[in-house]
Formats: sequence, C-alpha cells, structure tokens
Amino acid sequence: MGAETKRSEGSGGVRQTDHGAGVRRRPVAIPSDPAEFLHALESVSSGIRDPVAKLRFIRTSLSRYKAVHRVVRKVPVAPVRRVLYHWLSLEGLRHLLETKAVGPSGLNVATRVSFAFGRAAVMGLGLIFGISVGVAAYRHMRPLAAPLMAAPRRVAAPAAVAPLPDPASSVAEQGTAAPLTTAGVAPAAIWLVEKGPQWELYSNGLRIDTALTVKGTPRSFRVFDREGNLEPRVYNAPVGLLFHTSESDVWPLEAAYNENLRGTSQGLLRYVQKNRLYHYVIDRFGRVFRIVAEDSKANHAGNSVWANAGRVYLNLNHAFLAVSFETRWEGGKALPITQAQLAAGRNVSDYLRQRYEIAPEMCVTHGLTSVNPKKHLIGHHMDWARGFPFAVFGLPDQYQHEAPSVALFGFDYDDDFLKVLDQPWPGVRAAEAELSREAARQRRAVEDVRFDRQTAYDRWIEKQQAGYEPGPNAAAGEGSGTGEAAVGRAAASTSRPEGLQ
Amino acid sequence: MDERKDHLWKVAQEAEERIEDLMKAGSNPVGLDVGTSKVVAAKRKGKEIDTGAQLNAFIPVPWSRFTETILGQNEISYYRENDELIIYGTATEKFANMFNANVRRPMADGLINPKERFAMPVLEAILQTLVPKARAQGEILAFSVPAATEGHEAQLTYHEATLRRYFEGLGYKPVAINEGLAVIFSELEDNNFTGIGISCGGGMCNVTLAYLSIPSMMFSIPKGGDFIDASVASVTGEQETRVKVIKEDGLDLSKPPKDKYEKALRIYYEDLIESLVQKLQQSISQADKLPRSDRPLPIVIAGGTAKPRGFKEMFEKALSSRSLPVAVSGVRMASDPLTATARGALIAALYEK
Repeated sequence: MGAETKRSEGSGGVRQTDHGAGVRRRPVAIPSDPAEFLHALESVSSGIRDPVAKLRFIRTSLSRYKAVHRVVRKVPVAPVRRVLYHWLSLEGLRHLLETKAVGPSGLNVATRVSFAFGRAAVMGLGLIFGISVGVAAYRHMRPLAAPLMAAPRRVAAPAAVAPLPDPASSVAEQGTAAPLTTAGVAPAAIWLVEKGPQWELYSNGLRIDTALTVKGTPRSFRVFDREGNLEPRVYNAPVGLLFHTSESDVWPLEAAYNENLRGTSQGLLRYVQKNRLYHYVIDRFGRVFRIVAEDSKANHAGNSVWANAGRVYLNLNHAFLAVSFETRWEGGKALPITQAQLAAGRNVSDYLRQRYEIAPEMCVTHGLTSVNPKKHLIGHHMDWARGFPFAVFGLPDQYQHEAPSVALFGFDYDDDFLKVLDQPWPGVRAAEAELSREAARQRRAVEDVRFDRQTAYDRWIEKQQAGYEPGPNAAAGEGSGTGEAAVGRAAASTSRPEGLQ
Repeated sequence: MDERKDHLWKVAQEAEERIEDLMKAGSNPVGLDVGTSKVVAAKRKGKEIDTGAQLNAFIPVPWSRFTETILGQNEISYYRENDELIIYGTATEKFANMFNANVRRPMADGLINPKERFAMPVLEAILQTLVPKARAQGEILAFSVPAATEGHEAQLTYHEATLRRYFEGLGYKPVAINEGLAVIFSELEDNNFTGIGISCGGGMCNVTLAYLSIPSMMFSIPKGGDFIDASVASVTGEQETRVKVIKEDGLDLSKPPKDKYEKALRIYYEDLIESLVQKLQQSISQADKLPRSDRPLPIVIAGGTAKPRGFKEMFEKALSSRSLPVAVSGVRMASDPLTATARGALIAALYEK
C-alpha cells in the first residue's frame, strides 16, 4: 500500500503490545493505579452530555493525572483509592461547572446526584475537621491547661477513694474517722469575705464560682403536718439540703487525664445550667459552682418525701437546696468523691445551713427521699442511698432516721432495690417495725396498713397539687419533675429498675 | 507533523474558558472537512449544528461573453482566468456531464494537488463560499488533515501550512485535526471518545484509534472514491465522472451487481476495504503502544465513499476474516457520513476556544 502508520502516545491509556506474539485480544496486564484513575474518569465523563464539555473534562482531567496520581497512589487501600479518584474526578467537574464550561443541564441525573453527594461529603468532612480544630483550639485556649503537680510522680498520691464508713457506725465514730474537717481553727461564723464579679469567698474557705449562675422559678412551697393538713403558710426560704451525685463521666484523678477531667466538668456544668438541675455542683477538684440561684427552685428531687419535727415535705424541689457532687455513686460501697470534694462539700453544707438556719436533720441525700409514686416504692433514684459521710459533714446519720416514705405512706421496696443495696438502710427497717406495730395495734395485716397509707399519700399529693404547689412533673418547660429525670443519662444508673439490675 | 499538531492534540493544560463565550456575537468557531472530493463546513446555529458542502472540483470552459452571462444568470460559481472561465463547486458535476468531460480537482490523495496549476486559486474560491472572513480576529477554525502517507510527508506539510496561512488571512486562528479523530469526536462521544474512527473520502481512507480522545495510532491509505472511480473507468471505458454518478446513484453492495459497472464497482470496493482492514490489522499489530482498555472498541465509519448500502457489511465481513490485537465491539456507520468529519472538527474548534 505504501502507507505509513503514524503513532502518537496518549498520556495515560497506553500499553505495550507484544510484537512477537503477533495478534492477541487479551489486554496486557496494567498497573492498578492508572486503571483506577481512568475508570473513575470514564465513570464521571459518561455523565456529561455535551460533547465539547465532555472533551474538555477528559482533557483537563488527564492533564491533572500526574498530580492526582502522585497523591492518591500513596493510599494503600484500593477501595479508598477508587473512591478518592472518583471524588477527584467529580471535583474536576466542579471546576468546569464553576467556570461555566459545563452547565448543570449538561450532566445526567446520576452524575448530578453523585456530584451533589460528593459535595455533601466534602462539606461534612469539612465540618468535622472544623469542629475538631475548634475543639482543639478551645482546649488550647483554656486557662491552666497544664496540670500543676503537687508532688513528684514517684511520690504516691493519696488515694482518691477513701474507705467507706460503716453505715451502722455512730455519727461520732464517723466524725473521728475524718480529721480533715475537725483539725485547725474554725471560724466563729461563716461570712462573705470578698466578692468578685464571678466569685464569692467565705470565711470558712468556701469559694463559690458564680459565673454560671442562673435564675429559675422562685421558691415557694407549703408543708404538711403529720395529720395531712396543708399548712397555710407559704415558705420562700429553703428548709433542707439534698445531696446528689451527678452520675456523669468520671476519669481517673491523674494528671494524664487532666483535659478529660476538665472537659467533662465543663460539659456537666453546661448541662446542669441548661436544665436548672442543682443549686450547687462540686467538681472533682473541689471547685464549687453555683448554678441555680438559691432563691430559685432547682429540678433536682422529683417525687420525694422527707419528714422532720412533725412536718412532712412532699416533692422537695422547692423546699430543699441541691448540692451535687460530680461523680458516680456506684452503689455506695466506696466513697466516690475526692478529698477536695469532701472538704468543699462540708464547707458548702456549713455555709447553707448557717445562712438558712437549716436543721441538721433536714440535710439528707437524694436516695433516702426519692420514691416512685405510682408503684409506691422507695429508692426510685438511689444516689447516696448508702455511704454518704454524714459524720464528716457534722450531720446526724440519716440512714438511721426512720424513713418517712415507709413509715407515713407505707412505701415498699422490690427486688431491684435489693439488687443494689442488698438490704435497706436501717431507717427503712425502723419504719417497717413501726408499721408492724401499727398493724398489730389495729389487728390488721401489715399490707392492709401499707395500703391505707399509700392511699393517704395519693390524697396528700392531690391536695398538694390542688392546693398550691405544683407537683414535680407539673412545671412544664423547666425539666419539671425530677432533676434526676432531667439529668437523664446522669441519673440512669441510680434509678431503678431501669438503671441498676 | 506530530509536532505541529501537538498544540492541539497533546493533553490540554487547563481549559478554563467559558463555553458560553462561544455563543457571543462575533465568536463563531468553524469546523471544516477539507476533503479531496468535498469540502464540508460545520457551525453552531443555536443548539444545532449547521453544515454546508461544496464539491471540491472545477472545470475550465473557454471564455465568451455569452457563457459568462449564462453562468451569472444561473448563479453558478465561477471566476475568469484569462481566456477561461473556471466553474467550481457543486455545479461542476453538471457541466462535466454536459460536456462529457472529467472534472478536475484542486486536491488529490487528500492533499493539494501539486500537478494542478489551478489548485490553490480554485480551492480558495471554494473555501470562500463556505468560510467567510472571521467576524472577530482569532476565531477558531479547525480543519481536517489526513494522516501522512509514506513518501508524502513534505506534501502534507505544504498542504497544512498552505491552508493554515489562508485561514489566518481570513482572520481565523486555524487548528488542524486528523480526519479519523474528527470522526471519533463526532460519533464516539458516548464511548468517551474511545474507539476507532474511519473516514473514507474521495482521495484516501483515514483511520485513527483513540482512547479518551487521545490518538494512539493513525494511518491512511491512498485509496478512496477517486481510486474506485478511476479503476472502474479504466476497465469499463466509461468517464470517471459518469462512474461517480453511477456509484452515487443508489449503489447497493449488498445485492448482486446488475451490470458491468456495478460489478466493477463491487470489485474495487472489496479491494479498498480489504486494503483498509489489512492495513488496520498491520498497524495495530505493529503499534508500540495501544489504548489501555479492557472493553472492546467500537469502529465507526464515515465519509462519502462509505455511503453505498452494504459497505458496512462488507467491511464487517473483511474484518471477521482477520484477527485484530484489540477486541472490537461492533462496526457502525456515522449518523451522517458526509458531515461527520466536519462536525468533529467543529467540536475540536469549540474545545480549542
């Protein structure tokens, strides 16, 4: 023929042929990476309808091949590599779209969807990256990022968890076991020493951080006498203290976990503030934060019962101030708070008791007061149902106090309760003994007496709600009900039967 | 040759131009198929492509005032050259039949005919009827060129340079595109411009194998419609022009020949196709580098010589008798064989814009 064959090498997309082998149909084995790139390119290109735009896209993509391949070939996982090639091809398309070299109508539906999905994925990854950078920057910017070491590492730190005082031991015995609150000179009274824009310092060493303080529903409540009469007087000042645990995440009290410790505390404080759960939170370093103003109700107690000196208190959100320790109760077999929290808790307790003339007998834990009104069971929430160091706080051992929910209202407990505590606290036993005596006096079965008193509880609650004070679940919009319920995950492990099995 | 085409066919650097600019007033890229037999121009008209064609032929007739008047009254393209009137373009064939003479061509074997003294003046006159002066300086005009045949490299250089200079003179920025690749651009878009494009023209057949628009192999054979016409004329004693008319008047290669002309036409068509397929097999087998594709390649055929019914089947038959180094998914005719190259050149022009 006398014709000459002209050959030119295209970039990418070429392979050697076997001259010696003559004719053959099987393609020569090709390196995987270019094949992946070309496959992605063809896949995206197939979605372009306009021939000029398609040609432009193909040529532009091929011109970027080396730069793209240089980066993507380092990805060791083939599927990831393929996804990257595809995404980069779509990005090339985006470039053409932005320069109007390709109009949206020039793409088929599948390519448009794929393109949109790719953009969404990029935005999502960008968002994640931005948040990560933001969090890192936030952590970096926080003051006192570096933990201060009180002692060289080789010196063993004092145990964060102190042995639990025997609940059955006397208050005096528990008091002697905690010299930190009795040693040294105590102030004659507790007064406000100094006040800054976001803090208060008291004479017993209590320093309250007030930066996060918020107002809530003004405190207002009425009290029953033991006969079930709702006293006409409306109280605005707190009459009791209720101790809680936050049931939030707990990290080892070690320098290596400093950022986790601080981060968790910050999150807890924001959550408590948002839901107005507690008046005070004591973090694991012993810092005291006032969250809900003292003249406001906090959503901390839920359905609860306490009685003292001939007065009966139902649903304690209004009547009691809430002090929560950042920790998990974990069944109360060991003291779950730090030494710093212990000292700070004592100082807060002393301050509040003095300021509002709260009787020691009115300082109690959440677990001792919480009830399930529908099932008439005690221990609905169980934080500090065992193991609160009343003696260290200079308080009477409330575990010995006859449980009013049992004695007055015939509340019972179930197997779930016993799974957590093994046996009820002594105050429950004392109340049950009183019920038995009453049943014997009336010559009735104990269960009948219980039933009568449970029915009485229901009537009292109705009277309370009808008379003046809203019930724990009535204050809509404020995480009404129980602080515990509002805490949600925090309280889950202390509430039965859902939490502890 | 390759070097001069690099600016167009090497991988694009960055193409950030806005395609909407193409539609602005004064911007009107042109695709041109400068073939031995016909010149076809393609332009964008809105969203459609508008094509126009002229026969790339002429016939000189002696000058007389009467003849010139008649030509003018009948709007026949001509110009006067001393004592001759040069009739060119589509009307040429009528006059050739009228005078029972063969038409003359400015081009032969795909290139400007060096033996024809009127080659360039006539070609320019024909091109003028299809390509007006550029409305804006630097408008893109892509024109087709064949792959070089052995021994004609210098001639191809001259051909391309001459056309380029002419188009520059009209205010265009000319770019050359291989005929086979132009067919791929116009017909194999659905295959991402991957496959084998064949243009069977008057002077030669051009073949290009491309992958993702990048040509990997291209060649041409110096056989085309003119070869068939001349061969049939020589064995039948008929004028080439007359043979051409018979050929283009509903020749069906799938049916048995009815007369000696059809018999001869069939023989030389078979010869052309056999040469084409043989060269295709040889070129692919000897190619150093071929497209990387696990998928079989489509073959698309364009050009006026491929128009007769049965051409595709004849080609397939020839192809099936040989084994190619690449798998072929199928053979098909271009949607419009006569304008495929021009439409592909227009795509190249739009891309270059």
